[in-house]
Amino acid sequence: MNITQLLNQLPGAAAQGLIWGIMAIGVYITFRILDTADLTVDGSFATGGAVAAILITSGVNPWLATIIAFLAGLMAGLITGVLHTGMGIPAILAGILTQLALYSVNLRIQGLGTDLGSRANVPLSINKYKNMLVSLRNVGNFSIENPIWLMLLITAVLIGIMYWFFGTEYGCGLRAVGSNQQMARAQGISTGRGKIVGLMLSNGLVAFSGALMAQYQGFSDVSMGRGAIVIGLAAVIIGEVIFGKLFRNFALKLLAVSLGAIIYYLVIQVVLWLGLNTDDLKLLTALVVALFLAMPYWRNHMAARRMKGGKPVG
Amino acid sequence: MKKLISMLAVLTLIFSVCAFANAEGTTYQVGILQFVQHPALDEATRGFREALTEKLGDSVVFTEENASGEVPNCATIASQLVAKQVNLIMANATPPLQACTNATGDIPVLGTSVTDYQAALEIELVNDATGINVSGTSDLAPLDRQAEMIRELFPEAKTVGLLYCSGEANSIFQIKKVEEYLTAKGIETKRYAFTDSNDLASVTQTATECDVIYIPTDNTAANNTEAIANIVIPAKVPVIAGEEGICKGCGIATLSISYYDIGWKTGEMAYEILVNGADISTMPIEYAPQVVKEYNAANAAELGVTIPEDYLPIGE
Repeated sequence: MNITQLLNQLPGAAAQGLIWGIMAIGVYITFRILDTADLTVDGSFATGGAVAAILITSGVNPWLATIIAFLAGLMAGLITGVLHTGMGIPAILAGILTQLALYSVNLRIQGLGTDLGSRANVPLSINKYKNMLVSLRNVGNFSIENPIWLMLLITAVLIGIMYWFFGTEYGCGLRAVGSNQQMARAQGISTGRGKIVGLMLSNGLVAFSGALMAQYQGFSDVSMGRGAIVIGLAAVIIGEVIFGKLFRNFALKLLAVSLGAIIYYLVIQVVLWLGLNTDDLKLLTALVVALFLAMPYWRNHMAARRMKGGKPVG
Repeated sequence: MKKLISMLAVLTLIFSVCAFANAEGTTYQVGILQFVQHPALDEATRGFREALTEKLGDSVVFTEENASGEVPNCATIASQLVAKQVNLIMANATPPLQACTNATGDIPVLGTSVTDYQAALEIELVNDATGINVSGTSDLAPLDRQAEMIRELFPEAKTVGLLYCSGEANSIFQIKKVEEYLTAKGIETKRYAFTDSNDLASVTQTATECDVIYIPTDNTAANNTEAIANIVIPAKVPVIAGEEGICKGCGIATLSISYYDIGWKTGEMAYEILVNGADISTMPIEYAPQVVKEYNAANAAELGVTIPEDYLPIGE
């Protein structure tokens, strides 16, 4: 158990945390701002990866490919939105249905150009595509190619854009939809359309993150989104628990989400570094996330006890 | 606060000194990244470890990690192994191989339990070697002989169902090839793809409409042989499996390669690289040294299938 080894592994955790942080910001939009649980993300994450992989292997510029992946995510969000508002399906179910459908869609996307028509895995080797945006290969170097720099820049720009957008009249309308639907409707805001736009934006960000992840790890796999919603929610909650009191500003709240994702990955890295049996990795991750989630509840409980002079409330 | 900082500084110093002390005798640090827990991959890792331990004894230290079937974990663990600056990485299955190849261009990466290196790495093999810091062993058993086995054991079979997980590139590769061989023999084939262990049961149920079912070396199927057996045995549909583990669980016969053997072979290749300084970029991909015709006595008896003399029963 070498502390220098842990320090060496931190850049990897930070880079992955930043990439998932963008996905977590997408989850934040639906979970906190729109107050909907959107399970489409497991599917749209892989869609972003699939679209980017197919485009990059066809010779498209990685920047363009990543942006097109964002557009694909917008489409995924649109489908969930229409299922929810147009067909009256509860939001959670609508998300699950889209996620289900996206599995087949992703296989087809990755299979474009192959004789079988569907492919589970598309390799994106850094040896072959040297101009990919981020790569696992460079995470240890101090050079400009280190993915951390670009990810920090992208995160900052993204938070800036979100801050601007949710400050506009339309953006405030969206926040109203999530905050109090009936009041928003009374004010003349179209809640159905607002929800669709929110879902589209969220899944666009998730797909964008998926595209970056596929380039980072060097391949796009149809199951790479499995469990993504858990990581996203964990990052949102961890960010709130730790930075909730400090960060009141909306932009800083989004930053807290990104930091939450980094902390989540740091926890995984420490668990791995401790040399514990990796079979127990999922159990330990669940325990850590549960602890984080319990903290606000315990904090309130303790505060209430102190106020009532020793008598527990409820 | 000051005390804490100085304590931490001292601890860091002690740890780094320990690290230096370890580097004195040539100890080889070998990292193992296995994709998921199941018998075939476990056997390959076991073969690898035992081969290296036999040759190097105490001078090899293993860091064995398992991604628990999650693709994102592969990237995390791969970067961890690279940060640890191990001398060699063994990647057990395709996603670990891809993640490790991208994590490092210098550390030798030996793959195992990977069916098709060309597809996995999008690389043209030159003389069966990759030309980069990757080599390893493949678990590809001769698919044409497996197709022949179906003909041999079930000469009257008209339809063969190909059961596999649509999320596994290795399985898709084998299904395509077996389909070609069977169609050439005039047997009709139909594909039955499940997405994961959740819809495996219902897809298998649909597949029982065929005379025979073929399952390639599919990780998801290998993890769920009980579920498959519970459907095919009562339905009296024989299963030809791509490897021994699946056959043991739900199959009748298989042209088996031993995952332990290819793991062992990978260990031997690792020894060549670590100790004898072999150049990994010119080492050809190795295949299973021998294939054995095996059958599952219990299932064969239950389904009333007569097995020819040259098959070996799988030891229960």
